[in-house]
Amino acid sequence: MDCFVFEAAGKYLGIEARYIYRIADEVRPAPVPLLPSCHVGIVYYRGDLYDVVDAGRLLGKESSLGKGNPYAILLKWNQRKLGLIPDRIVGLEWIDHTRIEKNAFTGDGRTIQMITPGDIWKILSDLPYGH
Amino acid sequence: MDIDKYRKIFIQEAGKYLHELDTNLLRVEKDLPNRDLWSEIHGRIHSIKGMARALSLDTVSGLCHSMEAWCKEFQMGTIGPTADAVQVMMDSTELLKGLVAETAGGSAHADAREIERITALLSKSPEELAHDTPPDSHPVSSPARIDRIPVEYSLVEELLARSQEIILLEKTLPPLSHDQISSGLRSWINRYMSMLRGLHFQLAQLRLMPVHDFVSLFDRTIRDLARKYDREVKLELSGGEIQVDIGLMERLREPFIHLLRNAVAHGIEPPDEREREGKNREGKIVLEAERSGDSLVLKVSDDGRGIDQEAVRRYLKETMGMSDQEIGRLSSEQILNAIVRVDYSSAEETTQLAGRGIGMDVIARAVEYLGGSIAIDSEPSKGTRFVIRLPLSLSIVYAIVFRLGPYTLSVPTAHVASIERRQAASSQPEEALYDLADRLGIHAPAVRPTHTIKLRRRPVQFAVDAIIGNMPLMVMPLGELMARTGSFAGVGIMENGDLSILLDMEKF
Repeated sequence: MDCFVFEAAGKYLGIEARYIYRIADEVRPAPVPLLPSCHVGIVYYRGDLYDVVDAGRLLGKESSLGKGNPYAILLKWNQRKLGLIPDRIVGLEWIDHTRIEKNAFTGDGRTIQMITPGDIWKILSDLPYGH
Repeated sequence: MDIDKYRKIFIQEAGKYLHELDTNLLRVEKDLPNRDLWSEIHGRIHSIKGMARALSLDTVSGLCHSMEAWCKEFQMGTIGPTADAVQVMMDSTELLKGLVAETAGGSAHADAREIERITALLSKSPEELAHDTPPDSHPVSSPARIDRIPVEYSLVEELLARSQEIILLEKTLPPLSHDQISSGLRSWINRYMSMLRGLHFQLAQLRLMPVHDFVSLFDRTIRDLARKYDREVKLELSGGEIQVDIGLMERLREPFIHLLRNAVAHGIEPPDEREREGKNREGKIVLEAERSGDSLVLKVSDDGRGIDQEAVRRYLKETMGMSDQEIGRLSSEQILNAIVRVDYSSAEETTQLAGRGIGMDVIARAVEYLGGSIAIDSEPSKGTRFVIRLPLSLSIVYAIVFRLGPYTLSVPTAHVASIERRQAASSQPEEALYDLADRLGIHAPAVRPTHTIKLRRRPVQFAVDAIIGNMPLMVMPLGELMARTGSFAGVGIMENGDLSILLDMEKF
């Protein structure tokens, strides 16, 4: 399967490419109060609102912001919309989906941790909201 | 009320369907047993009938109803269509065109004798059709004048997406130094982008209609219902200026017909009875629309006899098999809400006994489909009120947009009593102000607040860093994450494309 690979939280992470709606550049999320610190803000893109999240902070590590990456990965699945800002975008990799579980290995020896939008949403959902 | 507006919509839509009907009849003439085509023909006729009923155009809806009966036979294959039958359908379509044209207020386009002839033909079974109409007597259709362009709603959506794509092109503009770009060109680009954003904002408004336009669709229906049931009824509206997504309103059209019919037929008493009870002879139906948080609340109330709760209890006992104890445990509200249950509402006789007619299931299903809720409140001899709460899918609201800390926030202008500029040495003690910054978790304001905003309905006044302006916002519903805070009413999109978080003032 095609897998979209990016770097965040000191790892290579992969999301199945079918969940990627767009790679948007130069997004300027509008910050929203009372949301977890990894929530960077919201953007309006082609008629939809996306919650935009700092991938590094979401995974409990160093922020992905300010690392020169101008792109946000916009995901759409099950009526949900989410933007992820990674440290760096690596690109598309083809991975033999019959052989992967949580970790996949590329030809050049990199280990890619596979995540689903549902995994990301679960982490976000478990965070505290409000005041 | 501007019924003309809805007449125009009817004429436009019916014109489109009639054109499609022509096309399909021409196709089916060459392929008589094609049931799919008959199904399409049926669909167009049904759509015209529905709109005509809403406007109480009885001749049009009656004609459509008769045409539908034939279509059903052809669709099911119980009767084989003939060329004569298709000709009658074509003649009926021409007649419909004339009737629709009359609706536009022009001179009579439909000949009374032709109405009589077609009605007589359609009252027969298609099999009984004799060749009693010589071919040269059929009217020759001439193309209608082109003065409108029907636009699919999906095209509006596509245009919106496309316009935003163009706006996003700005992001791809490479950084150019003063040597590479003249100030004149830079100014031109800025103006161009500003106009594009305005265009996008205006396109988005194609999706909106004010509630009063929706309500005026029913003026004629109420008048006709009042005549039919010998009632005197007037309709009052408040909050008609609220703009609501047309998709939402379309879903509510049929439920509203039922609500109004029930109010007139079963709620409001005959004038003499009202007079005896000391009421005004003229009954009143009030429709109130208001925005509450990220919901649209529609209240439909009448000052009639109210719902007979005893009849509902009897139904629950006799038909639903509930015991006296179980019924006794139900609150008045639960008893009333039982009438919107599908199983209950389909029990025509009982609901009519209870003071409400059939169709409550249609209302309940539509509200459920839209993700809303319905509540009923009724008092004997005082009337009944239905409160329908729906999520606003899209709306335009005027709001005061302001900055507080790193956030761009807004409150609906209707909620604001005043805005005051703060003096350098303000006489107003800080403690008199509601600490909105603290409520929103902003602990280190970067700048000294420049203004205070005082709310209208509640004794709340708070300081803000800067006022951006009073402006229309296209409001989109909250996503799941923002909704969890329980503090926001929606996300507002400004004309320049920037976003603002609309505060739910009920929560502050």
